[in-house]
Amino acid sequence: MESRDKKLEIKNICKIFLNKNNGYETAIEDVSFKVKENEFLVLLGPGECGKTVLLNIISGLLKQTSGEIYIDGKLSKGLNSEIGFVFQKLGILPWLTVRDNIAISQKFAGVKKTERYEKCQKYIDLVGLKGFEKYYPHQLSGGMKQRVGIARAYAGNPDILLLDEPFGKLDAQTRYSMQDEILRIWNENKKTVIFVTNNIEEAVFLADRIILFSKQPMSVKENYDLKEMKRPRDYTSEDFLKIRKEISDRTDLVIE
Amino acid sequence: MEVCTKMTKKTKNIIVNLLPFISIGLFIGFWFLVAGKPSSIIPTPYEVYLRVVKLIEKPISHTSIWGHVWASTKRVLFGLLLACFFGIPFGLLVGWNKKFRRVFKPLFELIRPIPALAWIPLLTLWFGIGESSKIALVFVGCLMPVVVNTYSGVSLIPKLNVDVAKIYGASNSQIITDIVLPSSLSAIMAGISTAMGTGWIVVLAAEMISAYQGLGFLIIRGSNVSDLALVIFAMLLIGLIGSVLSSLLRFLERKLCPWKVEIKN
Repeated sequence: MESRDKKLEIKNICKIFLNKNNGYETAIEDVSFKVKENEFLVLLGPGECGKTVLLNIISGLLKQTSGEIYIDGKLSKGLNSEIGFVFQKLGILPWLTVRDNIAISQKFAGVKKTERYEKCQKYIDLVGLKGFEKYYPHQLSGGMKQRVGIARAYAGNPDILLLDEPFGKLDAQTRYSMQDEILRIWNENKKTVIFVTNNIEEAVFLADRIILFSKQPMSVKENYDLKEMKRPRDYTSEDFLKIRKEISDRTDLVIE
Repeated sequence: MEVCTKMTKKTKNIIVNLLPFISIGLFIGFWFLVAGKPSSIIPTPYEVYLRVVKLIEKPISHTSIWGHVWASTKRVLFGLLLACFFGIPFGLLVGWNKKFRRVFKPLFELIRPIPALAWIPLLTLWFGIGESSKIALVFVGCLMPVVVNTYSGVSLIPKLNVDVAKIYGASNSQIITDIVLPSSLSAIMAGISTAMGTGWIVVLAAEMISAYQGLGFLIIRGSNVSDLALVIFAMLLIGLIGSVLSSLLRFLERKLCPWKVEIKN
């Protein structure tokens, strides 16, 4: 099952930016890893370490300086319909209703209105937004907006889902419930997920596997396989706290 | 107790509804006061009213009041529509396409500071002194605010919205129609409303120079024959039409951008 083990392969990715003083700044330094099909992979790293840059490169929004990305063994060149993206800053379009936001990929693909509403209803129900189809984004709470973002990513029916610190802006309570929600949604509708966060607890709670990154220039520091850890996980259980401490001790401190 | 609060609520509502009339009432009172002095050369509101009655009985240059109003309004609306038709796409292109911007922005920046009225001699040469030269002048006056606002609306679009469209498979033209246009719609509407104000200024000036119809013509006629009541009446009409048109525009914006209005509520 070669391909199942390599849904996505990141190979020697480097990203160098030109900074304001005309100097070079290495954001990502030779990062390589593989992602299995339907795996819930969490990329964990300190703030501003380049995780978002890496995710943007995987999605095709940003070009890498060097290195390759393979999806299903094929070299990926730029944007790809196999990939759905949940943005940290939401990117929910304020002039569209909930269902028009969620159906946007189908609108761009030229699917008729009635048909795309029909297709999207499944994902609206999946994220628990039934009854809010005709609401505008400003009428929704932060958690609900992020649900729109998740449903929108799902509605394009991609194989791979990239989530960029999706719960970073939510209050603690909503954050916990959204963590439960994302696992429920993922269990009901399996996808290969790459979830970026700087929160160790969140990473341990969600991940099949965690890749820990160093501070900038970003490189892989450690790999933690949590596949065997039972779900749903308990924040206060012994093994949870143990692995949490282990990761915490290895994490770079960044003073911003 | 309950009745009492209801009562106060009702009176409160009446007061709130009456508030807008206070300033207008004060203005008319002040006008009476100033114009009522024997030495005053300004006609009183009552004299203006009498002048209006006479105007209805004996129209100027065979055109009714409505004819004059429509003559000016028509020129403003045609000029404005033309300016939107060319200005909005141009502003979108300048704001969105880097190469287009590099080519056309310098020329635009050069033309922009030239006041619309400075175009009068050239436009009169090209279009004569008839209707088309007035519409052309309004067009020139309206074009700048429409283009500038559209352009700045486009340049303020969050990059994130464009990224969202790219991720979800939008083509370049879909990015323009589905992201750029709605993102900048309220800036465009602001531009149109500014342009309408400019349009009125320009059309009145044009009518004062050469016209036989229109509100600007009424003002200059009143001035020539020392008929200040006519001048004041024309001024009041301009104010009235201007405010009606801007509330129409606001209504249109509410219809076009429902998400914006609900935020305000």
